[in-house]
Amino acid sequence: MNVLPLALYALACAAYVWHFARRNPLLGRAATTLLVAAAMAHTFVIGMETMEFGQIPIAGTTSAISTFVWLLALAYLYTEMTTDERAMGAFILPLIVAFQAIPALNPGVESPAAVLQGPFFGLHVSSLMFAYASFALACVIGITYVLLFKEIKAKHLGFFYARLPSLQILDSMNQRAIVVGWIFLTIGLIVGAVWPPQARISAAGVEDPRVQAISLLDPKIFLALVCWLVYSFEAFAARRIGWGGRRAAYLSAIGFVIVMLNFVPISYFVNNSHDF
Amino acid sequence: MHLLLVGISHRTAPVELRERLDFQARGVATALRALAARGSTREAVVVSTCNRAEVYAACDDAERTRTDLVSFLTDFHGLDSATLRPHLYHLVDLDVTRHLFRVAAGLDSQVVGEPQILGQVKEALTAASAEQAAGPLLHRLFHSSFGVGKRVRTETGIGAGAVSIGFAAVALARKIFGNLNGRNVLVVGAGEMGKLTAIHMKSQGVNRITIVSRTMAHAARTAEAIGGASAAPWEDIDAALSASDIVITATGAASPILTKGRIETIMRPRRNQPLFIIDIALPRDVEPAAGEIEQVFLYNIDDLQTTVRENMARRESEIARAQAIVGEEVDRFDGWLRSRGAISTVVALRKHFEQIRRSELDRLEPKLATLPPEAKERLEDITHLLIEKLLLTPTEQLKALGGDPETVGAYGEALTRLFGLDDAETERPARGRVEPFPGPKSRSSGGSGR
Repeated sequence: MNVLPLALYALACAAYVWHFARRNPLLGRAATTLLVAAAMAHTFVIGMETMEFGQIPIAGTTSAISTFVWLLALAYLYTEMTTDERAMGAFILPLIVAFQAIPALNPGVESPAAVLQGPFFGLHVSSLMFAYASFALACVIGITYVLLFKEIKAKHLGFFYARLPSLQILDSMNQRAIVVGWIFLTIGLIVGAVWPPQARISAAGVEDPRVQAISLLDPKIFLALVCWLVYSFEAFAARRIGWGGRRAAYLSAIGFVIVMLNFVPISYFVNNSHDF
Repeated sequence: MHLLLVGISHRTAPVELRERLDFQARGVATALRALAARGSTREAVVVSTCNRAEVYAACDDAERTRTDLVSFLTDFHGLDSATLRPHLYHLVDLDVTRHLFRVAAGLDSQVVGEPQILGQVKEALTAASAEQAAGPLLHRLFHSSFGVGKRVRTETGIGAGAVSIGFAAVALARKIFGNLNGRNVLVVGAGEMGKLTAIHMKSQGVNRITIVSRTMAHAARTAEAIGGASAAPWEDIDAALSASDIVITATGAASPILTKGRIETIMRPRRNQPLFIIDIALPRDVEPAAGEIEQVFLYNIDDLQTTVRENMARRESEIARAQAIVGEEVDRFDGWLRSRGAISTVVALRKHFEQIRRSELDRLEPKLATLPPEAKERLEDITHLLIEKLLLTPTEQLKALGGDPETVGAYGEALTRLFGLDDAETERPARGRVEPFPGPKSRSSGGSGR
């Protein structure tokens, strides 16, 4: 079911990259149309899964990735429509395609464990998903910032100079994405801290060993806190101590690497408490 | 009708002559009125910029009008024809179309792809319309040229990239700061180059321009020349630096004024906010090593000149594509022009037939007076339909001609002779008596519906 959105995302990706290289306005509109179609198809898929399981498909890494991609696509579309700036699509779409390939090629849908029912779990995971999507956007914006920065600094005004918006715009877009992501990360973490005791109570009798294993030493929780520290610094302190511009851009890239490390390999290979 | 162009441009005439032929001095409107009074043109538009003075005209006799336009130019500007003649060019019909399209696209400009010319061509048509000098032919020609100008600019890179030092500096500043509103500019040195660059920045709506010079009087004078700028004493240079986003240095100092260390100290209080330094002085005012500081973007005159040269080269490489677009559009205009030739004959033919119908009905009016109104209405419908049917095939055939103007001309000529469609007759009803069309036509359309 996730294959159709993947195909549409791949087409949109090709169109965005082509548009970035050729700067033909017609191609740009085609790219946006394709992405809107892909997001709609994806919405349909997620809607179907929600109907099937009675909640948004966020339990289980594979379906969570699909939801993450969906949120990222929507977040990007929102940015594009509010800034009228398509250049970023050529950078975001490859990321979307790469991530969407995981659920599309790995279609087994895990039915959620008993403890993963209820509003707290939904809020916990969807806030974190939205935070990750924002950080992905911030990371890509940061990368483009560095590319443009290097061209201007080296006095070699070439490919990116002609195509990207100004450093100031990239910087403020990055800042906005970080703040939005930070808010959702904070909500997700707080809910995550409040919810396990509740889960213990509700699941009394059939104590799930994974719920008991939730502690600060859990690698997933530990890295999530590291992320929170990195992004808190970037969102509120970095610019005050003169770490604006390129350093902030690097920070958002580093933050996102940690997020991704936490999201994919740790979820699949090293996890113990969040192994749902 | 023919299209005709007589004029001079930077390609054919030196600046002294172009200045003397400038229509702006006495006003384009005056020129258009003077031209209309001569009666040799049916339509006219005057395009006058600092690089060209051109008269576009629609006329019946191209040769006669050309001679008259030359004497108009000499008379109006008080030149003798021997001075003017060697610099003049004149074009006819499609060559005029091609020329105007090239002009509007910026292909004929001194700096290829410069954007002002399109606005100037638009102004020329507006002025001519205001004087009622431009008719349907020139209106169509000029409106097509606006389309060409727009198309060439969006589909090719002919207008991309700054091609002067000032614009290159502004373009860079915009790439760093986005909108320049609210940004502060500091000019170090009161020279001409610094002033010019500051004026470019001012046109982008910067917040504040401060001039610092070793001599306060010089700084004040330059500030006044820029307008809305302020002068500051030399001692306050560090304070001014830390409050600025864009710094333009253009002093005559023999050794660098702004060293790396000095800039590093001012970067701290400004929390590493980006600083764009444009060093247009020779020898340089800013130590090159200052460019290594994290948020400092340092460009000297050579760097800017390099980007200008690169942009120029990029524009040149787009010329062929722009010319292909011009070619396409000329063909399209040509197609319209030809179909228009046939249409005028069609219109004349229909007018002629309608006139006959009308006059016959008028003639029979006393005899028809006794008929009931429905019968009269039916009579209107029948006669109208009869004419429509008679004219259907000839109309279709004429419209389908399209082809070369000679065939269209031959058909037009034959029809004019056969039916006596000379101008005098076709024009008369339009001007003299009441236009015969609206009445019967609207009635008949109502009638045929039943």
